[in-house]
Amino acid sequence: MSDAVAEKPKAITSRHDPRFEVTLYKYIGVENSHTLEFYKSHGGYESAKKAITTMQPAQVVDELKKSGLRGRGGAGFPTGLKWSFMPPVDGRQRFIVCNADESEPGSCKDRYVLEDDPHQLIEGMIIAGYAISATKGVLYIRGEYYQGYERLYNAIKEAKAEGFLGKNLFGTDFEFDIMLHRGAGAYICGEESALMNSFEGYRANPRLKPPFPAQAGVYSLPTTVNNVTSLACAVHIVGKGADWFAGMGTDDSKGIHHVQVSGPARRRGVYEVPMGITYREIIFDLAGGPTEEVKAFIPGGSSCPMFPFTDQYLDMPMEYASVAKAGSMLGTGGIMLIPQNKCIVDALYNVVRFYAHESCGKCTPCREGVSTWVPRMYQKMLAGLGEKGDLELLEDVSSNIRGRSFCPLADACIMPVQASIKHFRHEYEYIIEHGKSMYPKQSRWAD
Amino acid sequence: MVELATIKPFFAERQDVLNEILGRYPDYGRRSAIMPLLWEVQRAERYVSEARVHEIAEIIGIQPTEVKGVMSFYSTYHEHQVGKYHLQICSTLACSLAGSDEMYDFISEETGLVNGETDRQGLFSIQKVECLGSCTTAPVLQVNDTYYENVGKSRCKVLLDALRRGEMPEPWRERYGDNEGVEKAKPLQNTAKTGGNA
Amino acid sequence: MKVKVNDVELDLPPGTSAIDAVFAAGYDVPYFCSQEYMSPIGACRMCLAVVGAPRKERDGSWIMDEATGEPKIFYFPNPMATCTTAVMEGMVIDTLSDVTKKAQGGMMEMHLINHPLDCPTCDKGGACELQDRAYEYGSGESRFVFTKRHNEKHHALSDLITLDRERCIHCKRCVRYFEEVPGDEVLDFIERGGHTFIGTVEDGLPSNFSGNITDICPVGALLDTTSRFRGRNWEYDHTRSTSLDDASGSAITIDARTGRIERIKGALNTQVNKNWIDDGTRFGHEYVDSGDRIKTPLLRKNGKLEPVTWEEATHFIAEKLKTLSGDALGIVLRSDATLEEGVAAKALADHLKTGQIDHYPRYASSVIPANPASFNDLATAGAIFVMADATEEVPMIDLRIKDALKGVNPPTLMPHGVPIADLRLKERMPRKTNILTVAAPYRVDLMKHAGQVIDYKAGTEAQLLQQILDGSTDAGKALKESLTAADNAVIVLGAFVLNSAEASKLADDLAKATGAKLMKLGAMANSFGLEAQDVLPAKSDYSYPNMLAGSAKGLIVSGLNPAQNAEVAQMLGGLELLVVHDLFENETTALAHVVLPAKSGYEKEGTVVNLEGRYLSVNAAPVDGGQAVDFTGVVKELGDALGERLEGRSVRSSRRLLKKELELDLNDLPLEGTVVAAKSGKVSGLKPNSSGNALLVPSMVRPEYLSRNPHLLASTGGNALRLHPADAASYQLSNHDVIRVSVGGFKRLLSVHISESIPEGTLLLPALPDQPAGLVQVDVNSIRKEQFALEVA
Repeated sequence: MSDAVAEKPKAITSRHDPRFEVTLYKYIGVENSHTLEFYKSHGGYESAKKAITTMQPAQVVDELKKSGLRGRGGAGFPTGLKWSFMPPVDGRQRFIVCNADESEPGSCKDRYVLEDDPHQLIEGMIIAGYAISATKGVLYIRGEYYQGYERLYNAIKEAKAEGFLGKNLFGTDFEFDIMLHRGAGAYICGEESALMNSFEGYRANPRLKPPFPAQAGVYSLPTTVNNVTSLACAVHIVGKGADWFAGMGTDDSKGIHHVQVSGPARRRGVYEVPMGITYREIIFDLAGGPTEEVKAFIPGGSSCPMFPFTDQYLDMPMEYASVAKAGSMLGTGGIMLIPQNKCIVDALYNVVRFYAHESCGKCTPCREGVSTWVPRMYQKMLAGLGEKGDLELLEDVSSNIRGRSFCPLADACIMPVQASIKHFRHEYEYIIEHGKSMYPKQSRWAD
Repeated sequence: MVELATIKPFFAERQDVLNEILGRYPDYGRRSAIMPLLWEVQRAERYVSEARVHEIAEIIGIQPTEVKGVMSFYSTYHEHQVGKYHLQICSTLACSLAGSDEMYDFISEETGLVNGETDRQGLFSIQKVECLGSCTTAPVLQVNDTYYENVGKSRCKVLLDALRRGEMPEPWRERYGDNEGVEKAKPLQNTAKTGGNA
Repeated sequence: MKVKVNDVELDLPPGTSAIDAVFAAGYDVPYFCSQEYMSPIGACRMCLAVVGAPRKERDGSWIMDEATGEPKIFYFPNPMATCTTAVMEGMVIDTLSDVTKKAQGGMMEMHLINHPLDCPTCDKGGACELQDRAYEYGSGESRFVFTKRHNEKHHALSDLITLDRERCIHCKRCVRYFEEVPGDEVLDFIERGGHTFIGTVEDGLPSNFSGNITDICPVGALLDTTSRFRGRNWEYDHTRSTSLDDASGSAITIDARTGRIERIKGALNTQVNKNWIDDGTRFGHEYVDSGDRIKTPLLRKNGKLEPVTWEEATHFIAEKLKTLSGDALGIVLRSDATLEEGVAAKALADHLKTGQIDHYPRYASSVIPANPASFNDLATAGAIFVMADATEEVPMIDLRIKDALKGVNPPTLMPHGVPIADLRLKERMPRKTNILTVAAPYRVDLMKHAGQVIDYKAGTEAQLLQQILDGSTDAGKALKESLTAADNAVIVLGAFVLNSAEASKLADDLAKATGAKLMKLGAMANSFGLEAQDVLPAKSDYSYPNMLAGSAKGLIVSGLNPAQNAEVAQMLGGLELLVVHDLFENETTALAHVVLPAKSGYEKEGTVVNLEGRYLSVNAAPVDGGQAVDFTGVVKELGDALGERLEGRSVRSSRRLLKKELELDLNDLPLEGTVVAAKSGKVSGLKPNSSGNALLVPSMVRPEYLSRNPHLLASTGGNALRLHPADAASYQLSNHDVIRVSVGGFKRLLSVHISESIPEGTLLLPALPDQPAGLVQVDVNSIRKEQFALEVA
């Protein structure tokens, strides 16, 4: 056994590892990277060709399973396993849906792919479509990403003209086409069933599950929904092999992820990292460390409970299990630093307001709790009108919301609230007792 | 209803656009065309009027209430006409930490408008919006469909001045992180400084 | 499946929802969004309960709990919405635990934070699900210190329904109802999150079944405008009865207070109307309380009708009857008279030895099929052919056909009744429109939902049926094949077929040839029953139209107004005796010697037989009708004046007669009624028009009472003359013109409604009891425009 371990090279878990190479994001920001010409000249559509001409669909699914890729949209469900849930081919239309409704505060990794490397995504969708025998793709892009929409629109046109989309791909009888659909400002569309309702022209309320998308998805037909970077990863997993991908990260979390560092960091930005990297390396080595004193960081988008900015959490490897064990989620990898002098109540009000605005209104705890009561309680505290018992009330109402709602949106609001109270209770107590924030508002707008 | 009938249908002279949009979706998915049709109207008219709601319902073959229900669900379809330049200030946490509240105050003062208002000339309207997905290049200001990232105070002023002159600058796109700065904002006249990383 | 709810063990069929398991076990969980006969959606989150289930090992054996030796129960991490959770083998549901109680209490509190505290002025007070549940599951005090959401409190969704947007708790029952039940998506949520409200951008709520949302609204948000602010729930007398509005026999609840009907609600009859009724039935009651009702007998003295006692009126009649022996006297009932009235009329005719007895309106052929379909047959049919304007004739047919389109059979009843959450039902289910074929001489509502639509020219019903029988057209052949192939096929025949003896015969042949069951839409509520009881002329020369043509010298008319026809009026003026039994004065009472006050269909006790052949009880609500009686009362009073104890002198007396014949005790009918096989009566003697430039069409709103139904009048705009723009142009009519016109001799007041969908060359106008559906000649030269808008009488 020790021999086997010795033979297998240690997985890459750091950007400092010389073997690490930026792959998916290689051409982000490069001039004309969004054109087919550029993409083709950099090895574009080779993976799709490889999959379609040399592999059986089941082999592609197996390769994905072997790679250990987990959904990069936040929930982290194993992608290959999800693909294998599709029912046997029975003549009905099947769909692969790309969820490009990136709206989680703190996240912008998908936007760069959509704008700067649209063909990579199209190729990922072709591969996924082939793997699950879907001949139609749905690319649902959030409405605000107009540039991404334009570039995808043109990219799809280019791909069609070159025969990368349409009938008889790469000389086989596999056909694939993409319906590009633009959202119009609704975070809830990031929830796959709400997205499907939205695509079908209905109000974007989440659907009851079961049935799951594989049974009844878009137009009640078999469907698989994947995130943008999950699909883009598939391109490289097929191209470079599952072992390349699985050679990064930890047992629990393999491959690459894209972290987006925002807030007061010296080099804010999006970085491609191997799984298992520590938050310290991301925040200090890649993002250059904070520009001011920081008291907390959100590990994966605003719905993920925050961690205090302490060694215990900074040295934690970025992997699903560890982050979950520590009480939060890896999420989309949107890492947000919260400065010491930002009132935590104010910061959380901002988060709560977001979810209040985005609640679909279908179920009671979200509509009345998240969208009405909780933000009002924050407004009361911030207005200096907090009273004794308000914090306990907030906690109790939060407990009545969490785990009681129809979809995870209410939890996405309440979990960070609860985490902030857990770690920064004194700030809440201060604002209630003194009628003003522990940290007064400061000018944060750069010239 | 009578009045509606007298309004010229939007798609009457845009049959090719209409057919292109309807053609994107399978026959059984005709309803999917609601959102793109709403977009088409809004991009041309800067809002979607009741008459257009009825027109789209007629095209899809459903009740107008259904179209209204869908349209009102989304925050970027407007029931009232917005300005020629619809200034959308992201106010969610990352932008807020980068000063978007002050940016809003500044724009509000410059334009004399508050959230949700349109000026009498129909030039500007301002709206606080939620996360635009530009957290690493915060704060972001979206003018109509265009992102202006990393909008510092002086850049904001430059931008507003350009818009007042009727010039819509190229998008300020910034890529930080991997491949940083490959595509930087094109400098504008009187650009003082670009905001950005220290 | 074995399920345990608290301490009660149950064995339930797979697919049962956990909430129904709870109720079946005799326990309770609160709920607002679930609604019988509609899809469960899990939106209100009130029915949360701690739920667990055992799991299996890979090898299929249960994972055991070592401590107990029983299969180990794995609880879901959070309380589950029981309405959207299906029972599993070994499931454990705990509705009494602290976690369940906290979850339900917390949700109750959130329902109430934005709900106004206006229960004391809310019409729903005392019958409000939110109020009841707040009392049972709420904490009694609010921790919400902020201003509640403010919104419109008197928003008229239509002329008939008022919405209080503050009271809405967003259960979505109404929105789902429109999509799932009538399939008219005219109401939806607008905006989202905490700003969500329900609304419509349609002109009103264009649906024939909109009023049902006022029944299912769990709070006082959606209210019947006709009854708003009219009374409190505990002040109403609630009378369960059967609607006499059409031949469906739909169950209704009549809510009356201080002698007035304040509202009609749908009542449950799982075999007929489920919970639903149409808007004509619901809102068409206001005429009953109209101030000009005849409340005492009237006798013509010196050319003027004057109020008299019953004794004086019947004495006058009795005197006249002495000279009108035998067949000289005619007796006619309207076809919504109860069975008991029909039997009484027959007994009176027998006593007076006249064969001139009839009920009207009726058609040229029988409405009693040899192989009648039930509503549940219709709702489970694999192929349906409708040759009718079913939505207007018997609206419930329309709704039950839509059940069939969903392809979900009526639910099996649970110990607590209709399942609260039927998991087979979903929002936006695909509809099997291809099973439905609709044929009509003009665009009818059901065509929107039909896979096959057959347009034909009015009057050519027989030809069309012949083509289908012969399979001489592709459409006809396909239809015949689908009716033959389907397990359970139903053919629905309306006035246009039944009015032609030839077409009816062919339709019967088609049913026989295909094995399909038949539904014949009788003209009125008791057409079936009156025909089955042979309230029909002894010979064809004695039919009602013949009586009006001079076969009778004296006439007792109940509920009909033949003098609308100028020619008939002249004949009636020459009668030796004209007795009119009715609610209001009209053209015929103007000629009558005696006018007797009649009860409306809401005040009577009796029995009707719906189009399935189902005997259903009609019960009397406490309405102030003065000295009004039903026809059994007329018989009793006449008998008293004649010095005879006549049969049929009371409802009981008639029922005694019927009991012998039917072997059915009508005093003791079950709520859902009883179907008894019936043979068709000796129907003959009618010769409907076979030509004309216009078509009298059925309507769910009773045209004869419309002017006394202010809310319906406002919402419908009055009795309409519908015509094609080309016809309108040639008659120089424009939309909303109010016109007087002679229609087959009847003077009609109509408002003009121009629509492209009306066939060119055919004018459509509502049929009347005295002018039943069918072709008619409109004298277009007689059109006179009025300068006023239609107003309430």
